[in-house]
Amino acid sequence: MSEKVEKGRSKAAPFIPADTDSAIFLGNPHLDNLMSVVIALGAEIWADRQRMKVVERLLETEGKATAAMIEAYVPTSAEKEAWEAERMEMVERVYSVLSRDTSNARPFGEERQF
Amino acid sequence: MINRRSVMGLFAGAASLVAAPFASRAAQQRSAPPAGGMFQTRDDLPPPPKNPANVPGTLAPRGRNGRMERLPEIDLESRMDFLMSVRTFANQTLSQAAGKRADDILAGKGIAADTELPLQEAVALLQDDPVVSARTRTWMSVQQLSWDNIKTECENNADTYLSEMEAVDNRGPGTLELNPDLEMPDYTRHEIHIQPGGYVGNDFAGYMYDYGTNGFYTGRNDQDALHMTAAFGLPIPADGKIRRILDIGTGVGQLAMALKERFPDAEVWGIDVGGPMVRYGHLRAVERGLDVNFAQRLAEDTRFPDNHFDLVTSYIMFHEVSPQGTKDIVNEAYRITRPGGIFYPIDFNLKNPWPRTAYGQYRRWWDHRWNNEVWTIKYRTNGMQDIIRAAGFDLNEEGPVALPRFGVLNATKPA
Repeated sequence: MSEKVEKGRSKAAPFIPADTDSAIFLGNPHLDNLMSVVIALGAEIWADRQRMKVVERLLETEGKATAAMIEAYVPTSAEKEAWEAERMEMVERVYSVLSRDTSNARPFGEERQF
Repeated sequence: MINRRSVMGLFAGAASLVAAPFASRAAQQRSAPPAGGMFQTRDDLPPPPKNPANVPGTLAPRGRNGRMERLPEIDLESRMDFLMSVRTFANQTLSQAAGKRADDILAGKGIAADTELPLQEAVALLQDDPVVSARTRTWMSVQQLSWDNIKTECENNADTYLSEMEAVDNRGPGTLELNPDLEMPDYTRHEIHIQPGGYVGNDFAGYMYDYGTNGFYTGRNDQDALHMTAAFGLPIPADGKIRRILDIGTGVGQLAMALKERFPDAEVWGIDVGGPMVRYGHLRAVERGLDVNFAQRLAEDTRFPDNHFDLVTSYIMFHEVSPQGTKDIVNEAYRITRPGGIFYPIDFNLKNPWPRTAYGQYRRWWDHRWNNEVWTIKYRTNGMQDIIRAAGFDLNEEGPVALPRFGVLNATKPA
C-alpha cells in the first residue's frame, strides 16, 4: 500500500517486493546508478525540447503560447512522426557509444607496439 | 502542478479534436483484422465505442488519443516518450550489438553460435561482457524509470486519482466488485516485471500498468491493438452461441473490453486478483460506455456456476502463475466452461519455447531474475498442454491463431 493513500480509501494488499534495486549489471553499483541518471537526464532534456517545439508552433500559428495552450496542444500526425524520428535520432546520437565493442580495450599504461 | 479539474473543461475541445477521426468512422461495422493478421494502425481498428470525454467525475485534462487518455502533463508525456525511444534503442541497436558480442564470445571459445547451452552456463559466459551488460542495464533502467514516472505522478496526486476511481465505483455501465479480504496465494503478490507493488499492492496499479506497458510495447499498443486483434481472432464454439464470456487475469480489462466490442450482446466478465487493477479497468470501461463486469476474484476460485461460460480466455496471464496455480486455474476453467464451450488462454508459444542460444538463454535469465518474471521459465517447461488435456479439454494446438506470434491453446470442453 502506498503511504500516500489513507488506509480507509486503499484497496491495496501486501505484496512481495522485487530485489532489482540490488542488481549490479555493470560491476559497480555506482555505474548502474549513473546509467539510470544519464537516461533520466536525457528524458528531462527531451521534455524541454518537446516543450520548445510546441511553443514555437503556437507562436507561429497563434502568436502566443500560454501554459494552458502548451498543455492542451494536440500535435498533428505529421508532427508526431517527425518528433518521434527526431527523438530516435537523439537517442542514437547520445547513447550509441554503449554498443561500442570493448573486447580490444587496452590497459591505460600499456605502450602501443608498432 | 496544474489543477486537473479546472482544466478539464478547457481541454474538452482538444479531446474532441483527437476523437474526431474515430467519430467519423463510427458508422462502420466492426470487423476483424485481415485474415491471420494484426490490427496494425488506428485506421485498421474499429472506432472506440464512443467519445468518453464527458463522464462526470472522471478526468482527461489533456484529452484522449483514441482509446488512451493522454498523460496529464506534457512534461510527463515527453519523458515517457523518451523512455520509449530508449527502450526501442535497447531492443534494436543495443540488442544487435549484444548478440554479436555473444557470438564472438562463443566463437572465441570454439562454440558454434547456434549451440544450445544450459541456462547457467550461458549466463556465466555472457554476464560480464560490457556490451551485453550495457544493453541489459539500459533496458532495466528504462523499465525502472518508466514505472517511477507514473508512480510518482499518481502518488503526488493521490486524492485526484482516487477520487476519479471512487466516482465510478458504483456506476455503470457494468459493475465492479472489490473483495478487500480476499486471501491471495503468494504467487500473485510478486512485483511482476518490477511494477511497484505488483498488481495487488499499490492503489494506482492500474494506471501504472496501462501506461507502463504502453511503453513496453513501444507505443504499438496505445489503441489496445494487440487486445483487439486477440479478441477478434479468438474462436467461438461450434454452435455459434456466445452469451457469456470470461477473461481471467484481466488486469486493467483491455481484452475484456475488446471482447465486449466484438460481442456487444454478450455478458462479459473480467476477473483479477488485483483490486486496484480491476478498479481502474472499470473506470476505463465506464468512460468508454462498455458494459463489462469486473470483479476481484481468484482465477482458481471464480465463484461462477458450473458450465456457465461459452468462452473463457486470458491474455499473457499463465506465464505469471505458479505451476500449482496453473493446474488449479485450468481445472476451474474446465468447471465453468459449458460443454462445447472454448477455453483459449493466450500466452507465449510453447511449441518453440525460447531460443536456447547463449544470448537467448541469457536474456531469458535476466527477464526472469531481474525483471522479476518469477514464473515465466516454469511456464515454458510446465507441460501446459498436458495440464489442459488432464483437466478434460480437447486441445487443438494448430489454430486458429488468435494473436500472431503467440501460442495456440484452443481447448474445447467435450459436449
